[in-house]
Amino acid sequence: MAEPLLRVENLSTRFFTEEGQVNAVEGVSFEVEQGEVFGIVGESGSGKSVTALSLVDLVESPGRVTDGSVWFRKPDLAERIREDDPEAATEAVDGEMVDIRQLDENERRALRGTDFAMIFQDPTSSFNPSITVGTQIAEAVEVQRRAEANPRTLRSRTQGFGLMKFLTTSMVPTVDYVSEESRERAVELLDTVGIPDPAERATEYPYQFSGGMLQRAMIAQALASEPSVLVADEPTTALDVTIQAQILNTMADLQEEYGMTTVLITHNLGVIARMCDQVGVMYAGELVERGTLGDLFERPTHPYTKGLLGSSPSLEDATKRLQPIEGNVPSLLDEEMEDRCYFADRCPKAMEDCLQDPPEFDADGSQHHRAKCYLADHGYESALPEGYFDE
Amino acid sequence: MQYGRFLLRRVVHSVFVIWGAATVVFMLRFLTPGDPVTALAPPDAGDEVRAALERRLGLDDPIHIQYFDYITDLMVGDFGKSMEVLDRSVLDWIFWTRFLRSVELAISATVVAIVIAIPLGVISARRRHTVSDYSATLFSLGGISTPNFWLGLMLILLIAVPVGFIPTGTPGPLLHEAVGDLLAGDPGTLGDWLRFMLLPAITLGTYFTALLTRLTRSGMLEEIGKAYVKATRAKGLPETLTMYRHVLRNTLIPIVTILGLQLGTLIGGAIITETVFEWNGLGQLLIERINARDWTMIQGIVIIIAIGFVTINTIVDLLYAYLDPRVMDE
Amino acid sequence: MISDRVKASLKREFYQSRAAQVGLALVVIITLMAVFAPMIAPHDPTTQRVGTGDTAELTDLPPISPVPGHEFVGTREQSIVNETTGEFRNVQVEVPANASHPLGTNERGQDILSRVIYGARVSMLVGILGAALAAIVGVPYGLVAGYFGGRLDDGLMRIGDVMLAFPSLVLAIALIGVFRDSGFHTTDLPDPFVAAAQADAIPNILIPRSGHVATMPEATTFPVTVTLVVALVNWVWFARIARGEALSIRAEEYVTAARGLGASNTTILRQHILPNAITPIIVLATIQVAFIILLEASLSFLGFSGTNLTWGADIQQGRNGLSSGKWWVSTMPGLAIVLAVVGVNLLGDWLRDALDPGIQGESGGV
Ligand SMILES: Nc1ncnc2c1ncn2[C@@H]1O[C@H](COP(=O)(O)OP(=O)(O)O)[C@@H](O)[C@H]1O
Ligand code: SF4
Ligand SMILES: [Mg+2]
Repeated sequence: MAEPLLRVENLSTRFFTEEGQVNAVEGVSFEVEQGEVFGIVGESGSGKSVTALSLVDLVESPGRVTDGSVWFRKPDLAERIREDDPEAATEAVDGEMVDIRQLDENERRALRGTDFAMIFQDPTSSFNPSITVGTQIAEAVEVQRRAEANPRTLRSRTQGFGLMKFLTTSMVPTVDYVSEESRERAVELLDTVGIPDPAERATEYPYQFSGGMLQRAMIAQALASEPSVLVADEPTTALDVTIQAQILNTMADLQEEYGMTTVLITHNLGVIARMCDQVGVMYAGELVERGTLGDLFERPTHPYTKGLLGSSPSLEDATKRLQPIEGNVPSLLDEEMEDRCYFADRCPKAMEDCLQDPPEFDADGSQHHRAKCYLADHGYESALPEGYFDE
Repeated sequence: MQYGRFLLRRVVHSVFVIWGAATVVFMLRFLTPGDPVTALAPPDAGDEVRAALERRLGLDDPIHIQYFDYITDLMVGDFGKSMEVLDRSVLDWIFWTRFLRSVELAISATVVAIVIAIPLGVISARRRHTVSDYSATLFSLGGISTPNFWLGLMLILLIAVPVGFIPTGTPGPLLHEAVGDLLAGDPGTLGDWLRFMLLPAITLGTYFTALLTRLTRSGMLEEIGKAYVKATRAKGLPETLTMYRHVLRNTLIPIVTILGLQLGTLIGGAIITETVFEWNGLGQLLIERINARDWTMIQGIVIIIAIGFVTINTIVDLLYAYLDPRVMDE
Repeated sequence: MISDRVKASLKREFYQSRAAQVGLALVVIITLMAVFAPMIAPHDPTTQRVGTGDTAELTDLPPISPVPGHEFVGTREQSIVNETTGEFRNVQVEVPANASHPLGTNERGQDILSRVIYGARVSMLVGILGAALAAIVGVPYGLVAGYFGGRLDDGLMRIGDVMLAFPSLVLAIALIGVFRDSGFHTTDLPDPFVAAAQADAIPNILIPRSGHVATMPEATTFPVTVTLVVALVNWVWFARIARGEALSIRAEEYVTAARGLGASNTTILRQHILPNAITPIIVLATIQVAFIILLEASLSFLGFSGTNLTWGADIQQGRNGLSSGKWWVSTMPGLAIVLAVVGVNLLGDWLRDALDPGIQGESGGV
């Protein structure tokens, strides 16, 4: 079997805040095949966005990826590392796969925008309000163009555009980081994502765009580099329902056209059902169940997944939003997390065993369908006494 | 089109403000104690002499005519005549050089402020909670808390006197003379210009530098936390570019307006600095004329400063709207 | 008018921030110094000791070094007359520091420490009264403009814009030039402590060191014009902030509801709008106190304040001595200004961080 394009192993991300340590992402592992869409679904606050940011190395202080690897298939980079630094390669390279967490900062940054692109939840706050949309997309194109023209500049701190150049741009308009070609390409991209009048709109500012149009623009920006991996964090949540459908259609079309590998984050099961091949369910920073779309919708194992799907889990009926599950989203503060299944206090099936940390189990012998729940291993034994978690 | 309309509105507004300022200055005269004729006329002057003086000064007209004359005179650039030295007009007295000296001082101070403050603010924000951050914060706190006349005296005491070759009085050559000589092959004049300008520019610029450092630091910190910065990094834009093209630019946009208003402080500070360094500019003239109780001259100088100040602010506003077109929509 | 939540956040910020503690300490010390000046000051700040009659010459004494054994020795120019020829030459003679004048004396033999202590009176009083006056004028003005909006707002704010056309020091100088010949340029405020100490009745016993206090100046000269003028050039900043707050609050639901219930405009302004606008106004007022202290010092330095017993005037007075080695006369009052303004600014930072009223930038009129 071919290696997957992306293999995440045991990824953990923490925030070190004044209130204490927050375990936002905890031992997350999954694989994504070339051209497939991997969906991550979960309640708000379960660590989806932090997972996305950890993949593209954008977790900021006070947060830090504390553990795990993100293996990415990139044969030329693997080759280069093996030649440059055989010692490091034994750790960071595995066949054609490279662990991007072990690369140095500039190498990692160089992957962003070229191999990895990201779409954010709220388009209005994700664009710089005082620069035209066209210029901002052109910037993404330019990063890529400069990298192709001279691969070494990609890893430089300024791509040959330091403070002096910056100062001259404010006086000499023809000196700019963004070239005319990149601007033209930006207009083409706007056209690709279905924005009418792209040349005109490229010269407008974000506040002149509607939310849906701006989200299209952000997709265009993500496509600028024809990335291998697209990470989309709730790309439709901030939009009206009718617009959501249009954006999803656009994304599905583009996904097909470009054959991008996508990590799609959402809390909408309808989106999962429509777009994804593989699905992971996230709870309290952990992936509690993952498998193919069919595995999860037809044969859910984890009580949390079942709860999400409600009483009648079926692919056809999945357009509704997440069912609210009784109880509160757990605190992710380290000191408040006990060493047990984090779902136990809300779980209708909680038993003695669950008071210890459940490992991941093979749910139905297919090796692809895994669940972090004792039910996946030995079935239901006996309930905890009523009021056990109340005191 | 949209920008054109905004420009027109701003210009009309500033003309209104200048007219209002001129009216205030005109009224100032009626608050002054004693009447100018008594002040000017010899003690034993008869009624005819007094009447002639009154006519000469245009004070025999009814008040609305005087006001109308005052405003129309201003419009053609006649800022009035001195009361002490009759027939000497404000512009004659101000001379071009006095005006230039004040402007050169103010611009040098601004340049000092910008060159020091922006990098300092950026470093302070990017290396938060480090020694450089704390030093910059301490410097800016001290800077906004130090009266500039005292700072000027301390610089004279601690630098000019011991070092010896840094002059502390009477200004040196003007910049255009210095540049002229430089082009003619004599860099000495420019050196003189720099020597004379050094301490006054630091004195006047320190408050501004401190303020700008504070504003840049807090603005950067606020801006860095915004979502679009993360999106910019996600594009793979190098960090330096993210900082310059996006964060710093957006930080500076609102600061430009604040600085426009703060220019008032700079002009006020210039008056004091000129006194400390015996700098022969507008500010020193103003103080001198006030001590001579030469009201018409005071009016003329005040209105010239106000016009300059309003004009700069209008330009700053237009610049702001150009950099951040959202403001035109409000 | 200040909610518990605000109080809690003030307290939290205060305990966390060393800067806030230093600021409060500075302001409290300087205010106490100003209030209790006659008790604290070692000498009458106005007494001149130029060596006439039975007083010893005490002019230009240098300050004492805090390090024992390293007491400062200053120099003074003196003429030595040859008794037989009558010729004289000027020489620099050494002047030892004098323990009773820890910060030295000026060319008139006045004690600098005492002058610095008394100078705090004018600075703090003008700073606080000036800011308060500016707020009293500016806040209602801005509230009315913002609350009623429309033409009234336009008109009122245009007038404000005209005021802003003048740099504050320029306007202040011009106004003082106009007003300083009037009768109310300064007024003498009698010093209650001195009066009490001089009285033979009970109050005398209540005053510590009353014998000393009784010899202090009976009145402090207070610059009325300067106070009025600094308020006049700064009220617009209060008007602007108040207007902005009123504009944003008047659209809130509870204000609409109050109006629906038939509350009068005055009631709404007083009971709903003002309390909400109060935090940014307090922050601005603090920053303004700092700014006005600096402004007052500048005006005194230029000789416009009508009193000599101020920090600014003393700096001017010591200016000539700077080039002949008498550095302390100007330096000491300047340090006092810096400490006072740093203190007030730190308080302002504390209030801003704790209340976070979103004043545009950090300038708010400075
Ligand atoms: N900058 C941050 N500082 C501290 N905690 C954070 C930060 N960002 C996220 N978290 C914590 O991480 C957890 C997961 O957040 P997130 O990934 O945004 O959830 P989701 O995207 O699933 O709604 C939350 O409990 C949140 O408190
Ligand atoms: S491990 Fe136990 S408590 Fe946790 S989800 Fe499974 S059954 Fe419920
Ligand atoms: Mg999220």
